[in-house]
Formats: sequence, C-alpha cells, structure tokens
Amino acid sequence: MNLQYLNWKIHLENPAQAEPDEWFKVLSTWIPDAPEIFIDVADYKHVPDGPVTLLVGHYVNYSLDATGRQLGLLYDYKHPMDGTNEEKIRSSLLGLLRVAKRLEDDAGFHAGKPKFKAGEIRFIVNSRAIAPNSPETLEAVKPDLVKVLEKAFGVGGFTLDRPADPRQRFSVDVTAKGTPVLADLIKRLA
Amino acid sequence: MKDLDLVSSESAQHWKKTLSDRLDPKWREDIDNFETDILLKKKGKIEDRVFAETRLRMGAYGQRYDNGHRHDGVEMKNIPFPTDLNKGPETKWDAPGMERIKLPWGGMTADQLDVMAELAEEYSDSILHITTRQDIQLHYIHIENCPSMFRRLAAVNITTREACGNSVRNVTACPIAGVCREEAFDITGYANAVFKYLLGHPDVQDFGRKFKIALSGCKHNPCGLTNIHDLGLTAVARPQPDGTVKRGFEYVVGGGLGAVTYDAKLFSDFVPEEEVLALTQATCRVYARLGEKKKRHRARIKFLVADMGIDKFREAVLEERAKLPNDPRWTDFLATLPKFEEKPLREAGKGIPKTDDAAFDFWCLTNVYPQKQDGFVTVTITLPMGDITSNQARALSDIARKYVKDTMRTTVEQNIVMRWVSEADLYNVYNDLKLIDLAEPGAASIVDITACPGTDTCKLGVSSSRGLAAELRTRLAVKFVEMDEAVRNLRIKVSGCFNSCGQQHIADIGFYGISRNVAGYIVPHFQMVLGGQFTNNGGSYGLATGGIASKAIPAVVDKLLDMYLKGKQKGEIFRAWVERTGKGVIMQSLADVSAVPAYDTDKSYYTDWGSVREYNVKDKGMGECAGEVVSLTEFGLKAADREIFDAQLKYDTGDIKAAGDKAYKAMLLAAQGLVKMFNIDISEDPEKVMAEFRERFYDSKLFFDPIAGPTYANFYFGGHDARNEILDKEKAGRRLKEAQIFLEACHNCNLRMSMGANKGKVGILADAGSKSDSKA
Repeated sequence: MNLQYLNWKIHLENPAQAEPDEWFKVLSTWIPDAPEIFIDVADYKHVPDGPVTLLVGHYVNYSLDATGRQLGLLYDYKHPMDGTNEEKIRSSLLGLLRVAKRLEDDAGFHAGKPKFKAGEIRFIVNSRAIAPNSPETLEAVKPDLVKVLEKAFGVGGFTLDRPADPRQRFSVDVTAKGTPVLADLIKRLA
Repeated sequence: MKDLDLVSSESAQHWKKTLSDRLDPKWREDIDNFETDILLKKKGKIEDRVFAETRLRMGAYGQRYDNGHRHDGVEMKNIPFPTDLNKGPETKWDAPGMERIKLPWGGMTADQLDVMAELAEEYSDSILHITTRQDIQLHYIHIENCPSMFRRLAAVNITTREACGNSVRNVTACPIAGVCREEAFDITGYANAVFKYLLGHPDVQDFGRKFKIALSGCKHNPCGLTNIHDLGLTAVARPQPDGTVKRGFEYVVGGGLGAVTYDAKLFSDFVPEEEVLALTQATCRVYARLGEKKKRHRARIKFLVADMGIDKFREAVLEERAKLPNDPRWTDFLATLPKFEEKPLREAGKGIPKTDDAAFDFWCLTNVYPQKQDGFVTVTITLPMGDITSNQARALSDIARKYVKDTMRTTVEQNIVMRWVSEADLYNVYNDLKLIDLAEPGAASIVDITACPGTDTCKLGVSSSRGLAAELRTRLAVKFVEMDEAVRNLRIKVSGCFNSCGQQHIADIGFYGISRNVAGYIVPHFQMVLGGQFTNNGGSYGLATGGIASKAIPAVVDKLLDMYLKGKQKGEIFRAWVERTGKGVIMQSLADVSAVPAYDTDKSYYTDWGSVREYNVKDKGMGECAGEVVSLTEFGLKAADREIFDAQLKYDTGDIKAAGDKAYKAMLLAAQGLVKMFNIDISEDPEKVMAEFRERFYDSKLFFDPIAGPTYANFYFGGHDARNEILDKEKAGRRLKEAQIFLEACHNCNLRMSMGANKGKVGILADAGSKSDSKA
C-alpha cells in the first residue's frame, strides 16, 4: 500500500471558546509572504459537521474543523508525497503538530486562543481508493503508523481505535496515555 | 516538492480500472478523451483557449485567484504555483477550480448524493454547494482530479458534460413537479427528454454562448422560472372536443437576467408534446447559425430574438423545423413518461401529527408542502447559502432511504426537497433532520436568502454576496418568528456582480455587487433592486434604485421593511408599494442609514463582509461564463490529436491493429473538422467525409501546402483506401507518421484560413448549418 492524501486532526481542549472569526483573521495573516503556497481563507461557519474556517493551500489545507461534531485543527495534505509510508506518516504528523503549535502561539488570537489536546489525534487517509475503511487497511497501515507514534508517544504510550462506519474514510483515533505536550512531540518527531 | 501527476496516481488508476466497465460507453469515451486532453495539454499540444473550452464543457470552471495573483489588502502578490502551465488563458494549471455537477431537473438519488459527498471530501473541501440552477458545485479542485471525479459520478449516472461553456446548460424544472397541486401535468419526463436529447447533440456544439432551458408545470408559481430563461416551457393541458386532454407547452424564448434584463417573448402558446424536441432542436440550430459569435456580450439568444423580433425569429425557426429530417427520438420519449411517476415508500398518513412542539409547528408552516396526493407532503430542507457538508449529505441520504424512494430534488432557491413523505412520518422526519441541523424553518421566506458565490470563489465577483447574505440571514432570523407575514414572505437575492447568478432582478429586494469611490477610497457597494417578481415564473424584473455600501445594507433592509409595513395599503404587495412610493422617495428616506462614514471615522465600511482585507477590486479576473469561442474545426482537430496520441500509445504497447486503425481515424477526424468550416452537418461516414474533403479542400487547392503542395492530402487518401488492410508493424508505423504529418497540415490549413490567407476564395461559415439534408 502506497499511502497518500494523509490527513491528521488534533482536537481542541477548549472548543467552546473557539471563535471562527478570529481564526479567519489569523489564518488570513498567514497568507502574505508565506513559504507555503496559500490561496485564500474560506468561511463555512454557517454549516455544522464540516469545515468551519479553512485556509486553502496548494499542497496542504489547514482548517478549524467540526467534522464529527468535534472541533479541532485539520491538516489535509492534498497531493502525492514521496518517501516510505513511515516517512510520509511522520512528516505529515509533524506538519500538523507544528501548525497546532503555531496557532497556540499566534498573538492574533484573543478570547478564543486555541489549546490543543496533544494526546488526542485522528489519522485519516483521504482516499477511498487507496484505503477503504476496513480492518484489512488497518492491518496494512498499522506497522508504519505504530513506528511513528512510538517515536512521539513512546512504546505502549497510546491506543488505536478505528471508527468502523464503512462509508466514512479510513481513520484511526490515537489516544495517548498521560498528557503529552506539543513541543515535546515535535522535538521527538523532527 | 514533487511535480504533480494526479492523472496516473494510484487513486486515479483505481477508479479507472474499477469503474470503466460500469459506465455508459459514450460517457466513458468523453471522460477518457478529457483525460487524454489533460495529458496532451501538459505536453503543450493543446492551445490554452481550446483546453479552456474543453474543460468548461466538462463542467470544470475557473475560480478566483487562478491567474496566480491575489491582493492581500495592501498590494498585489503572486501565488507561486509550482508549474507555469496554464489550463486556459491566464489560468494557472495548479490553481484550484470549481466543478459544476449537472443535476437535470434537480433530481438526485440517495446513492448519488452519497457519491457527491465522497467527492467533496476527497477532492474538494467537504462542502456541496447548490446553485440557483439546481446544480451542485464543488470548489478548490485540481484539474487533474477531474477524470476520477467524472468516473465516480458517471458510475451513478451523473454527467458533468456541458455543465459550463458555450453549451446547453443544466435543464432545470420545478422541483415539486408531479406532486404539485396546481400543475397542468408532471413535466419531469419532458425535462429529462430535453436533457437527454440535447446532451452532446451536434446541433448544440457551435453556440456563441451558453443556452439555458427551464420547464415549469404551471404559469403562476416561481419554481421553474421559465421567464428568465433562454428557452422556457410551461405545461399546458388543453381540453379537446372529444373530451380528452392534449398535453403541450407554452414556449417562450429570449428571456434573461445578466446586466440588462430581457423579457421572454412568446413564441407559441401551445407546442404539442410530440413537437417539443423537434422545435427545440430547430431553435438551437437557428441560434447556432445566426447568433453572435464574436461579441460575447451580445451572444446570448435574447439579443438575437430582440434584434430579429419574435415574428422573424419564429419564422426562421419554423423554416428550420420544416427542413429537419425526422428523428424518432422526438416522440420515443413519450412512451417512457410513466417511469417518472414516483411512488411512496410508506403508507399515506391521515393528517400531520399533532404535537406540543411549537418549533415543529412553525417548521411545518414554512417548510412543508401538502402534495396533491392525499396523506403525503414535500419537505424543504433549508440550506444556508446553499451549502451542505459531506457528513450532513450522507445523513440526509439515510433519512431519504428511510422515509422516501429516492425522491429528492434541488431547488432554484438553493435548497433540497424530499418528496413523498408520509404525513404520519413527518414528526420523525423533522426530528431526524434536526439531529443533523437540517430542520431550520424559513424555506421560501425572507431568511431563505439566495446568494451566488461572489468574491468568495468567483472570478467575476465585485462584492461579497455570501458575506452579505450570511449577515442578513443571521439578523433577520432573530426576529423571523415574530415578523409580519407580509414581510416574512418577501424574497432577498444577492449577486456578487451584475451577471445575476443570484437572480436579484426577480427578488422583492435584490442586490448586486458594485464598487464606489468614496473620497479616494474604493468601498464595496451593492446596487439595490426593488420590486422584482419571483412568482409567475419570474414574471417581471425589479427597479435598480441606487448603490448602497455593503456594510450599510443590514440597516437599510431594516428600515425598508419598516417603511413598507407602515406605509403599505391593505393587501398591498411589496412590488406595488415600491411602485407607488417611487424609488426617489425610498432612497431619500434611506439616506440617513446608507451614508458612508469617512475612512478615519469607521474603517469597517472599507472592508467587505467576510473579509479582513481592505477592499479592492484587483482580484477580479476574466470570467469564464462566456466560455471560449472555439470553432467546430478546432474541436475536430483536437479530437484528431487525441486519437493520434492514443494510436502512438497502442503502437508502443504492440497493439499494431489498433494503432493503424486509430491513425486512420485521426486523419478522418481532422478532415471532418476542416469540412465543418463549410458544413457543420458533415456525416460520420468515412466515404462522405472523404468526398467532401476532396471537393472542398483538394480540388479547390485550399489544403495545398505552399511548399509541399498536395502531398499531405495524399497521405489521407492513401490511408482511406487501405483502411481495411491488415497492417504489419512497419506499415502501421508508416501510417502513424503519415497521419501525424497530415494532422499538422490540417492545423496549418486551419491557421492559414483563419488568418484570412484564403479570404475571398471561400465564405467561411457563411452557409454553415444550412445543410440539414446532409445529416447521416
């Protein structure tokens, strides 16, 4: 299996405080002169159970996301990546964590300053062709996923759970034991 | 970062491999051809504007910032897309675009909605946007993902062909057709027949602009909006002396919104059902032949009808109709009409359940329509700004499966209706919808605001239509329940520019985006249009009353509604009040709430709704609504290029027979393309193509190369004579080379002729389209 279109979502500790308009302002400031290719910010706060505020990029989209009625940061790598599956999982997870850290540190937030649950993340493969949501896919993905997560959370430092709805994309919920810190995870994966 | 190759990605190949056998062969060919066009474009083998029209005809539209520039509020910045390749004039290959998915008559099944939800997740942003023409649009899509999307859509019987570009767009129709208490008859099957008959029809491939058709079951409701369409068909059931009822349509042409509205003209008050397709074909042929091709702003049929006058236009169409050879499809569809009769999944109810749930009662008031079939209702699912998320869409499919039989339709008010809900189930349906946040009341009311994408994603947007609509909706919703009924039932519609995708001209209160210079600053504004008529199928257009700053509009709307309530006479509708009061008085009365404060006093007026950037109009790009005017010859030559590309692939993989056959077919297509300069009805028959090519291009020496003379034509003649021979590898290779040279010669010939080198020798296109008798 050649894993592609990797997405990660990290949930907010303080979802009730999230202000979509603040996210809109902050993400808009990320566009000018960014090293990444960003195109625009889209506002979807009028719909539930999906994106709320979306920074559209060429390679990656970042969004305040309410899919599954859980508010968090979604990191959506949209194009094929090079490397082994383990490398792709590691680099995309690192991408998520770095963006989460940047958001936590962004001075543009005021009342709704985000704080993420570093020990509660979701891994998604955004391609039903590559990764149908089945136990077989989990078996195929697990070794590489576990290797990366062990680097981040330590051996035995997490549990995995695959939501089983076959119409949803393949995803794995990662729950860390203890309360990991974003900066530490970044250091371990970098 | 790696260069993209999404067409040959594992994911794309998976869908191609698993779905190809399940697709309608013609649709499969369209998609395969488009995929090849993408590959050829990446190799630089297709001109930008030809590729643009090609993708538009598959529904792949441009999006804001796709010229690679974005103003950040201070200055214009380049968006450094990885490749320099274009997918159209000044349209970057890697820039995200919009895909328009055609839903004829707005119909969709639960399975189809599921697939669209998946596509939104995997290729777009998990949002499905319903348009004012019953389409569904997905945004932020990479062009190379389109073939996979098309295959997945085609597998559930959806095509995007001719969703954009200079073609017959989605055939829209009343979403309550078949269940409406006031319709003459169910027009669903007729709308489907018009869609099927015209899809890919040779007579609709050479328009100067788009062509929109709508059908309605009655004259007085607004569901079909036939009067604002290029062609509008309204059902008429005419009693006959023998007691039977004859079905037909009132046939109007040349209506339209846009910058300058045109009233539709009555072509006939009764076109019998068996004549509808034939007459529509004739109308299309006249439009293709006589409609403007070069000046885009004059190229819609409304200008042709206005210029000719309806009587002369009618005469030309009837003359064309008389010349058309009979096509059995004109009437074959009549036998299929019964299959459009829907059946309920559940037993009829006996009245809407009584509850003590006030919210349910209010929702019933605005969102539930009692059908003509006793015991059943149609439920409107109100979608804010026409948007629904993938998860909501999937959940809605499940609700549809549970209570009805695939009887969902999109509406021109950007909602979804679910028909055939048993009254007995209604409270359960409401509660199920509530769980997914789709039980909002206010359908077809002042809070159900229509808005085009505007500056959010559209290249033509001037002001933020969605931003304004969202703001108005939020404010009006707060007082909705207490509103006077006269106000509650008004319609607000917003467009981001004068092109009227938001249909502002037929709203009670309409807005379209403009900009104004205020003391040296550019300020986002909307032109306010008052008193349009949504009923009577968009019966009349409103009055433009003046520009208002975007940020002042909520206060202006509040005051306007207040003025109406206080000033209206008993039973006086909004339109009548506007006319009686006069726009001068109205604008004067609104002056105190519409003034723009100085920049230093309140900067918020200088930023649009839903934006944090100071307003500018520099992000506006070239629109693609008009499509690119690409001649049939150019399309023919492109098809030939595609065929020769395939021939080479076959040759490389050792399939010698297919290589030889395709090389010949490439020459045939190129020759046929050239002949279309003179005769758009040229047959598919190789003998006839050969004969006409010889007569028009060889005997006349038009084709002769300035240096090589007739040599290259002889490659085609030789290939034609030997087309049934079994070729060995060497001969097939030779034919491939000859075909490639012949194709180059055809391109050169087209270029010479289009540059006027042969001006005076032939009247290019002068009599094109007049040879209906030569149809194969």
